[in-house]
Amino acid sequence: MFNEKNFRYIMILAVSGLIIGTWGMGARLIYGHKYMDYGSFVPWGLWVAFDLFFLGLTAGAYIVTILVYGFRVKLFAALGPLSVFALLVTLLCEGIIISLDLGHPLRIYRFFISPNFGSMLLWLVAFIVAMWAIYLPTFFLLLREQFIEWSQDGQRAGHKIYRFLAGGRTTYSEEDRGRDHRRVRILSYISMPIGLLFFGMHGAVFAILLNRPLWNGAMTPFLFIMAALLSGGALITFLAYLFHPRDDLVQPLGRVVLGLLATFLFLEALQFFVGYQSKVPNFVTSLNQIAFGPFWWAFWILHLLIGSAIPMYILITRPHDSRAVAWACFLVLITFFAVRLNYLIPDLAVYKLEGLQNTFFHQRLRTEYVPNINEWLVSIWVLSLGLLTFFLGMRWLPVEAAGKGEEEHV
Amino acid sequence: MGRELPVEDPLIRMQRDLKRALQKNPKDIKWGMVIDIAKCIGCHACTIGCVAENKLPPGVVYRVVLEEETGQYPAVGRRFVPRPCLHCQNPPCTKACPVTATWKTEQGAVIVDYNRCIGCRYCLVACPYSARTSDFGEWYTAGTAELPGKLYGQKAAANGYESHPATEYGKKWPDRDHDSPVGNARKCHFCLHRLKVGMLPACTTSCIGRATIFGDRTDPKSLVFEMIGSPRVFRLKEELGTLPSVYYLR
Repeated sequence: MFNEKNFRYIMILAVSGLIIGTWGMGARLIYGHKYMDYGSFVPWGLWVAFDLFFLGLTAGAYIVTILVYGFRVKLFAALGPLSVFALLVTLLCEGIIISLDLGHPLRIYRFFISPNFGSMLLWLVAFIVAMWAIYLPTFFLLLREQFIEWSQDGQRAGHKIYRFLAGGRTTYSEEDRGRDHRRVRILSYISMPIGLLFFGMHGAVFAILLNRPLWNGAMTPFLFIMAALLSGGALITFLAYLFHPRDDLVQPLGRVVLGLLATFLFLEALQFFVGYQSKVPNFVTSLNQIAFGPFWWAFWILHLLIGSAIPMYILITRPHDSRAVAWACFLVLITFFAVRLNYLIPDLAVYKLEGLQNTFFHQRLRTEYVPNINEWLVSIWVLSLGLLTFFLGMRWLPVEAAGKGEEEHV
Repeated sequence: MGRELPVEDPLIRMQRDLKRALQKNPKDIKWGMVIDIAKCIGCHACTIGCVAENKLPPGVVYRVVLEEETGQYPAVGRRFVPRPCLHCQNPPCTKACPVTATWKTEQGAVIVDYNRCIGCRYCLVACPYSARTSDFGEWYTAGTAELPGKLYGQKAAANGYESHPATEYGKKWPDRDHDSPVGNARKCHFCLHRLKVGMLPACTTSCIGRATIFGDRTDPKSLVFEMIGSPRVFRLKEELGTLPSVYYLR
């Protein structure tokens, strides 16, 4: 249930995060990667884990928009514009944090002028661009009617901006509405294969690496798709409760999240089973790192207890309590970052050649990695920016208004 | 008995092999290296030679010497395995790079274009041998007191030696902290800048045990070709199918 008081708390939280995070951002922008703790043996750290986290969060919105605009499921229609907006904000956060992780972020134009079509990373970027290309126009088309309406309201603060966003149009006919929704539907159809490839490609970046036994395999892309659906589904359920607290909306979503959680845990258990049974030393070491390594608490306490067992218990025992369902999804959502971090680091944290640990002593050439304060501060900055963008957007953009009565249009 | 001492230093022969290779059509050269583990004494001179030649900053290393312990007490042993970039003929790193900033040359060396690399470090993750490192922009002289004319200080030490760029790939790079290679993935390049002018790689010339043999592996008269034919030869992680151009002798 979202009210003015909650809004104020979130704004205080987001602005504080931005202020605190500025220190880390300053360190990153002035000194580059000099004061970050990842190295050459663990080249991807906290920011890549956040990148995975953000990319995954887009999946819930992806499914909702497909259900609403592709398959015309009226039940979730009110969530349509909200989902698209959430997807765009998470993509924005992802874009910022992964750009900061690059050694030369200003060279991202290289993706376009010297692409390597054999690289999974190139395809991931291509699908990220495709998601922007689909969802940005979708968002505009869904909100256009309200932009025009608000631009006509002279009393409304910033009505000139809405006039700009409306492209100077002053009227919006039934015919326009039909045409815009038709366009949204077409974009939604296009997004179906693109989105699946996007989430699959996400896993493929890791799956193709032969030297990484924990990641290498055909199951990884599928695991990533399931992980994305679970975390994204939890996000959308929680947002649905905040902005559209209807039992008929939140409770079915809660059941979907329960199913996704059970499936994800089953896949995770399979990965452990296969890994331990294969007895491949590097694989077993990586699994041991997850379960008994320095971040054991992230796996057992954050992921399995707070992020899985408790939400599962709540979703099973209180499926008709929307508030409980929303909180269960919130727990899944906030602890899912631990899943991403604990998936990324353990394989990197195993020396790939015997004796490498004794050969050249430098902190960048170690497999022990703990994110430092600067990395956390930058992450807090990006998270806060996302929070601020989302909640200010919900206030200043007609996202909620566009969701009202959407059942009739889909 | 039965073994004769070499009549000439292998370095002399390798130098002759190199001269002959450079007279060939560049397309027909395939550089290769053989490292005789039995001869390596673990002095790390190749590591230091490489660091000095390429002016490698802290945390960046192209050639390390792995120290492996073998057997069980009391039958224990120790062996040293120098590990440069293995210049795979089927390199996973070049396939990973999203912007074609790294590729295999016609002569078989895997190289990086520092001006194209975006610093995503995917190649570091993809390399099965951990042969790539990232340049995080660190300095050996960071934080030292500046005293012009003396031997210490970031700007003063050896006239700002550390800030002057290396001549990797035969190019003049900007002073350190001014763009690439800071922020880039870096790796062994078989000292291409030395090969161009008829000099063997720094690791090869600095090896006091003559454990590192370098040359054109397609030249039947070369020492490296001869060594690759040894029954003692093996390659690291052959099961991955990366086909390294660096061979080892047991």
